[in-house]
Amino acid sequence: MKKGSIFSIDLAIVIATLVLMLVGILFILSSNTDADGHMRDDEFIKQIIWAIFGIPILFFFAFFNYQRLRDISLILYIVFILLLVITAVIGKKVNNARSWIGIGGFGIQASEFAKLSTILLLGEYLVRFKNRIHELLFFIAGFLICMLPMGLVLTQPDMGTALVFLPVFFVMTWIAGARRRHIFFIVISGFLMITISMIPEFQKFFLKTKLPVLNILTSFDYIFYVIGIISLIGALAFTGYYFLRDRIFYWICYASGVLFSSFLGSFFVRKVFSDYSTPKIRLIIFLDPTIDAKGSGWHIINSVLAVGSGGLFGKGFLEGTQSKLKYVPEQSTDFIFSIISEELGFLGGIIILSSFLVILLRSVRILTHTTDQYAHFIGAGIIGMLLYHLVINIGMTMGIMPITGIPLFFVSYGGSSLLTGLISIGIILNIYFRRYS
Amino acid sequence: MESATSVSTQTRARFFVLKIFIICIFCFLTINLFLLQIIRGGEFKKMSKTVSHREISIPTQRGEIYDRSFDIPLATNLETFSISVIPGQIPGEIPVFFEKLARVLNIDVSQIHSRVPLRAYTLYQPIEIATGVSIEKISQIAEHIEEFPGVTWNANLKRVYLETGSLSHVIGYVGNIDESELELKYAPGQYDRNSIVGKTGLEKQYDSILRGKNGIRYSLVDVYERRIDAQAEEQPPELGMHIVLTIDRRIQLLGEKALGPQNGAVVVMKPDTGEIVSLVSTPSFNSNLFLNKDYYDKLRLDPDNPLYNRSISPFPPASSFKMIMATAVAQEEVFPVDKTVFCSGELRVGNRVFHCWKKSGHGALDLIGGIANSCNVYFQTMGLKYLGVENIVTYAHEYGLGEITGIDLPDEKSGFVPTPEWKEKTENTPWVGGDTVNFSIGQGYVTATPLQMANVVAMIANEGTTYVPRLLKEVRDPKTGKVESVTERKVLRKNERISADTFHIVQRGMRAVVETGTARYVLTTKAVDVAGKTGTSELASDKSNFTHEWFCGYAPYSDDSDAERMVVIVFVEGVPKNEWWSPRIANYIFHGIYTGKTFEEVEREFGILYPGKAGTDE
Repeated sequence: MKKGSIFSIDLAIVIATLVLMLVGILFILSSNTDADGHMRDDEFIKQIIWAIFGIPILFFFAFFNYQRLRDISLILYIVFILLLVITAVIGKKVNNARSWIGIGGFGIQASEFAKLSTILLLGEYLVRFKNRIHELLFFIAGFLICMLPMGLVLTQPDMGTALVFLPVFFVMTWIAGARRRHIFFIVISGFLMITISMIPEFQKFFLKTKLPVLNILTSFDYIFYVIGIISLIGALAFTGYYFLRDRIFYWICYASGVLFSSFLGSFFVRKVFSDYSTPKIRLIIFLDPTIDAKGSGWHIINSVLAVGSGGLFGKGFLEGTQSKLKYVPEQSTDFIFSIISEELGFLGGIIILSSFLVILLRSVRILTHTTDQYAHFIGAGIIGMLLYHLVINIGMTMGIMPITGIPLFFVSYGGSSLLTGLISIGIILNIYFRRYS
Repeated sequence: MESATSVSTQTRARFFVLKIFIICIFCFLTINLFLLQIIRGGEFKKMSKTVSHREISIPTQRGEIYDRSFDIPLATNLETFSISVIPGQIPGEIPVFFEKLARVLNIDVSQIHSRVPLRAYTLYQPIEIATGVSIEKISQIAEHIEEFPGVTWNANLKRVYLETGSLSHVIGYVGNIDESELELKYAPGQYDRNSIVGKTGLEKQYDSILRGKNGIRYSLVDVYERRIDAQAEEQPPELGMHIVLTIDRRIQLLGEKALGPQNGAVVVMKPDTGEIVSLVSTPSFNSNLFLNKDYYDKLRLDPDNPLYNRSISPFPPASSFKMIMATAVAQEEVFPVDKTVFCSGELRVGNRVFHCWKKSGHGALDLIGGIANSCNVYFQTMGLKYLGVENIVTYAHEYGLGEITGIDLPDEKSGFVPTPEWKEKTENTPWVGGDTVNFSIGQGYVTATPLQMANVVAMIANEGTTYVPRLLKEVRDPKTGKVESVTERKVLRKNERISADTFHIVQRGMRAVVETGTARYVLTTKAVDVAGKTGTSELASDKSNFTHEWFCGYAPYSDDSDAERMVVIVFVEGVPKNEWWSPRIANYIFHGIYTGKTFEEVEREFGILYPGKAGTDE
């Protein structure tokens, strides 16, 4: 295939992306329309403008040499970290999260672009230290690159967006050759951390009583004792492993480490999210929507009802009842999949899912056909990011994931997310374009 | 240059795992979507498409209460509504909708816009946009609800009582239904958790007549809240009936003002029908202020107990009981009517001394003289020596004491007629002569309500028959004013035991009370011939200078008078001894009734009843 030819782009990915954007615009239009066919908003027009603006950007990123991104990755990373800091200080509050910064009438969500800049820098880091990434120290250093933007986004607070840095990190380091046990250390610790930090809410909503024994895990009075005991066990196990080299001591040490970090982390989480704060309540409501059937639980219940009532072929474009009667919230952004499923049915859902499947599988295929490691890493990061958004967003509309308020790439209304998605696709196409170089 | 030519096996393997992972995720999402939309799709479709039956309540109005003249209501409604909109349910252009709503409500559209700003247009909570909306406007909206989706309202029934004085006890007041009432009365469409019910008085007694029934408009709506059936089925509201009382507002006011600052009761009744023309109990309260917690607490803690309806509550009848004693003496013929008993001012029973109210004694008195002068010694002698306690009990029951009269008011008390058995059982001491002596002059254990005493007098005036006292004259249609039903007079008791001759003797005695006896100096009206009986009961020893006073009388005395006969009972609580307040008050009332004059006009004629008091209400 001739280098530079228009036919050397991966058409399947481009077509899938265009299908998603087209469906997105149509259903933003649908969500702007009320039951009587009146237009209540003009978001879809804005989205068309974003799309017209975004396609050249996609092709720009598809054709200039992505290797040059390596040189500017650190600068980009620092710029977006600074933008996140600025957002945290002077950002605009939308839906209780300070995630927007605006210049005049034009606002961007720095957190969307920060995902990409983090992927680019982490990719550069992994290329440089590929041979040592299986060492704990280098693994942790890589994790810190993700932790910094993640922590900043968390303070907005936008938990949904913050958590995307984790799958990005896991997929990238996994491809780079990190050890499974290191990745699982973070996964298990994170899970335990959230569980422990949720103890007050669990007690209130599920146990309906307070178990005094759980105070050991939640009260600041016992924190030093618990840490002391865990450290002691860890230290003993470490000594045992050092002298006897028995694997069992290694795993005891590993377990104490998991406990140690999740326990300490839980206090950090409870510091950031006070007890019964929105993100924590959302997690509780995800487990049982009826706890707040008229509040956030209402969103889940109605979204599931909208999706479910779509059936095989849906109710027809603009004919959705649940969405048109505004039972479904945030229709043009977070819950756009609900309207698509209601009005186009299972077929509509399959169109969306298979388009994403094409993008992701073609991306993996492209990456396995290139020998460039930087391409492997940033491509893997992009796959991790897209996959996370897809699972969380679509899962949320079906009631199988907690409500976290993250958009569906290419489909949801919003310029920042659309541009991030298009740049990502551009980079993938670029990798394809230069796969033999 | 290994990395430049081929991808390492480890990386290749890991990309393969990633691929499998992606496929698994897709399978997971697809299966979930399939379960939701295809397997359970029908169930969700039904839930979302449900064509629902909507029942819209069309409010009714509580009937009004009138006095017997059926002119100005005593109790009416200020029924207002508050209107709210749920912006999220409003289809189409919201400002256009608001224009329409403002036109119907006859309010300025800017009022709606200020309550519902642009940013609230997608809200799903009701927002109140207007208060004090009339029932006509609500009916208008309720009947065309399909044109006003998202509009809701709340009724704020405000019962207004135009007479706030002594009629409060009769009419009572309304309030929100409570748990126990709901349990008792619950009926769909009639009483529910939001019902307002009569709490006391006639509001409670005739709640089912007054309340009416809310109408219901059934319609089929689709999920858009649009009506999809052409003709809505409708059950129109049944308006509450008006009730017309036997109360005569003028006489009620006369009694109330004559009672003035005293705590007490006045009953004016037509003896030949049982119609209550005036039922006063003082102090009273203002029913309009009942929703005010402070006001209610003040009433509850007031030592004068304004919430207590004295006209149907028991007190010792004292000397007015002598009407019953006289009947027994004459009827049982235990002692000749014209034979005298000598009153020395005291009666010795064993080692106890009972004083007559006139310490110097009345001298020799026959039955008529005994009634006229209310001589204790005469009746105590009769009771103790000639009648015996059993006869007294029998005649007390003949007159209806110890049983409720059955007036159409809740919470009527029965009073009490003691018996020797009762005393032995409850106090564990035998009935002694002293008890009979006290019983004979209406003291001790016996109690009667002013209303019961009205019936006693009515029986004497009617010579044997009494009718169930009643306050409801008729029920009228609220729209046409047509009389729906009239309360017929109902015989309460028809006496077989007591002869007309006996009643004549008692009547003569009661006439003598006014002409020559205890009431002669104060009951001076020339408008009508009054016959009656005074009564004074001693209070506890620490209040020995105060007494409860009764006057139980009727007029006209003679049967050949053209004037309509009325029974008047005046009861006053704790007044200074020997001031004859009750007959004095009765004098003003009788004069007012039979001259058609107001209390003020009577005062101009007879002099100020309560000097030093500017008004008579407080």
